[in-house]
Amino acid sequence: MNRIIPLSVIIALALGLLQSQALAKPTLTIYTYDAFAADWGPAPGVKKAFEAECDCQVDFVAMDSSIGILRKVQLEGSGTKADIVLGLDTNLTDVAGKTGLFSPHGVTSQNSALPIDWSSDLFLPFDFGYFAFVYDTNMLANPPGSFEELAAMKGDFKVVIQDPRSSAPGLGLMLWIKEAYGDRAPEIWQKIAPKILTITKGWSEAYGLFLKGEADMVMSYTTSPAYHLIAEKKDHYKAAAFTEGHYMQVEVGAIVKSSQQQDLARRFMAFMVSDKFQSIIPTTNWMYPASKTALPAGFASLYLPGKSLLMDGIRVEKNRKAWIKEWQAAITK
Amino acid sequence: MNFSWLRRSPASSLPGLVAGLSLIILAVSVFAVIYSEGAGQGLTVDWAPVLSVLKMTFFQAGLSTLLSMTLGLTLAWSLSHQRVFPGRGFLVSLLSVSMVMPTLVAVLGLVSVFGRKGWLSQLADLFGGPGPGTFVYGLTGILLAHVFLNAPFVARALLQRLDRLPPDRLKLSASLGLSPWRQFCIVEWPAVKTSFYALSATVFLLCFTSFAIVLTLGGSPAFNTLEVAIYEAVKLEFDLARAVTLAMVQVLVCAGLVVLASSLRNDDGSLGVVSRVSLWPAPVGARVLQVVTIAIFALFYISPFLAVLWDGALADFGRLLHEAAFHKALVSSLCLATLSSALTVAMALAIGGTKRTLGSPLRVELNWGSRTLSSLLSFSGAIYLAVPSLVLGFGFFLIARKLTADVYLLAPVALLLANCLIALPFALVILAPAMEKSALRYDRLAFALGVRGLARWRLVEWPGLRREIGLVAALSFCFSLGDLGVIALFGNRDFATLPWLLYQKIGSYRTDDAAGIALLLLGLTLAVFFLVPKFFDRGGDA
Repeated sequence: MNRIIPLSVIIALALGLLQSQALAKPTLTIYTYDAFAADWGPAPGVKKAFEAECDCQVDFVAMDSSIGILRKVQLEGSGTKADIVLGLDTNLTDVAGKTGLFSPHGVTSQNSALPIDWSSDLFLPFDFGYFAFVYDTNMLANPPGSFEELAAMKGDFKVVIQDPRSSAPGLGLMLWIKEAYGDRAPEIWQKIAPKILTITKGWSEAYGLFLKGEADMVMSYTTSPAYHLIAEKKDHYKAAAFTEGHYMQVEVGAIVKSSQQQDLARRFMAFMVSDKFQSIIPTTNWMYPASKTALPAGFASLYLPGKSLLMDGIRVEKNRKAWIKEWQAAITK
Repeated sequence: MNFSWLRRSPASSLPGLVAGLSLIILAVSVFAVIYSEGAGQGLTVDWAPVLSVLKMTFFQAGLSTLLSMTLGLTLAWSLSHQRVFPGRGFLVSLLSVSMVMPTLVAVLGLVSVFGRKGWLSQLADLFGGPGPGTFVYGLTGILLAHVFLNAPFVARALLQRLDRLPPDRLKLSASLGLSPWRQFCIVEWPAVKTSFYALSATVFLLCFTSFAIVLTLGGSPAFNTLEVAIYEAVKLEFDLARAVTLAMVQVLVCAGLVVLASSLRNDDGSLGVVSRVSLWPAPVGARVLQVVTIAIFALFYISPFLAVLWDGALADFGRLLHEAAFHKALVSSLCLATLSSALTVAMALAIGGTKRTLGSPLRVELNWGSRTLSSLLSFSGAIYLAVPSLVLGFGFFLIARKLTADVYLLAPVALLLANCLIALPFALVILAPAMEKSALRYDRLAFALGVRGLARWRLVEWPGLRREIGLVAALSFCFSLGDLGVIALFGNRDFATLPWLLYQKIGSYRTDDAAGIALLLLGLTLAVFFLVPKFFDRGGDA
């Protein structure tokens, strides 16, 4: 009998513990991707800086990828806990806009550092970058200079990439090849397929595998080497320059329509394009800030693509499903 | 319906009927919800990718089964002939651990050992040989993990059959001078044949519905199983129509496989355990094969465990143990595992009890009614195999979307049920024979003396069943503790389990934390799996 008692206590505990508690201060809940929310990402600095001026609590919720943020808000619908989403990119803005789940950000002027024109009343850019394959010069002396060269690499050469259905760099890579090769894209994918070690759901896992030595190159950004240079004082990581040009990514934030904190959320949007937020970005998210801000040393030595590629968001949205199908068919062959 | 053929204790067979029927109703309603969602979306199915997933799943599961069964049989045969060597007892008891090993922990261990920078590769570097390369990802990785998880428990089950061979038969075959091969064909194979086929069917179904391994090691949609494809359709593409199609194909194919497999009954001849003595040494060739098989297998099987220990020992537990997310996951995991273990034992006892009643001429009149109900109950116990956890989770997900704005409200229920359903087939295989034995032995006496109800339970059933109940409790606890299935659909910051947290840590490249959690999961699993049955066993004596 005495064995029954602890069991019933455990069961009672089990039922009680599945509930959460309410908080007094207004809380601004921000859905973002894991690397943004990480201890070493921009989130801690952003939280501190905004809480200092808003009399609120900022709560970052990490999703496994940027597309995961949108999917999560879609899944939760109007019952979502999110007030703001941070980390969608240009490829997602059109589909995200169509869900009707977001309301205007209310920021009218931004001292834009973007190399392209930007206008959207729902989505506000906070940083941008160029996709590139990153390699370790100690391990790889002669990196490929194009997708064709990548496909022709000799020996047990492996790259690790991300899934275009779940990750922004993954989608970026798919669009990069599409933009550069058009109808030849499936052929390029088929040639690259044997060189792919694994396709991860998010950027972090892929970069981790690369750093662990499981792969020779990883799909990332031209700015990734800045991290190794500035944070780790290591200068042997480089981005491989591709003759096709490099696909661009612009990351944006947006306010969730069903949020009960519209005013607070709009204040955050204004804060997001201000110097305080923007100066945190280069050395935490390792991207170029979207507003004109002084860049740290180190950034000058980065490879800056001479030719950048970017597709119109509407074209991306129109074709995304078909292209993903095409991609799936190509790498499955 | 006329229940007059229920001669004795009709009330006692009610819980089992209720449990069994509600499981069937659950499965049917999940299927109905998925179907109606599909019909509502006006399914325009692109069959080509679905068929290619199906083809790959069959191919992968077939190959995994072939490899696991071959290794399992060879190992069982080797171990049954090599009775004495240091560590044999340890190796044999470790074999059954593969059944409850959390799949993600296995994945981490395998990558640490067989990865490009893993132990094997470092060893190869040391001797200047060529490294193992990158085979731990892709199809080869999936096969490796499936063999790692399935071959040991196949070997364990077959070894049990071989150990029960009467010594006279072996003596006879030895005195006739049969070669090891002839002895295997004439004496040993017939003894393991039925188990071998039944186990093949189980392994095939497990590999066919494999999720966590394909998700983490597959590395490309090219190697997706239907389960992973469903997950990706929901989580990555939010393409419910596609998920519905995949789920329906999965249910139909699995139900078909279950029906096919149920004709391969695993007969239980658990009578007469005989310890064997090899009187005549086998020819050198056979002995070398046995020793080499055992040695290579032991290295292959034990090194990932060691890797998990080694990597985990380096983790920063001080920080990890203070992490709020870790606490939450640990508590929900333990609670869910405890609840699911209790629920599984209760369901298995209810279903097993009713099935026993329906099959006993002392208790009921054996007619088409009792036989139909009995086979219905058997099906309800194996329902997980027809409606695998991702499909079940997806069904719950759709129901939750219809009922409430918060799709995560039903998550604990879905998880609990899925965990219970996974354990149920195993629980019934363990409990049913023991329950039948106790009825066979004590029914006449108990009915004559009028020992009924709780008294019968206390005096007759509990002493006879407590070992099996302990085993089922431990097994279902471990299954639930290590499961990464439904939680992959429902997991979030407010509701996480340890395997889900582990998956997140791997995904966000927190190698240290991942290794720490893996070690804790493995430790917990081993402790529960080995200690809980002992506790039940001893508890009964007091």
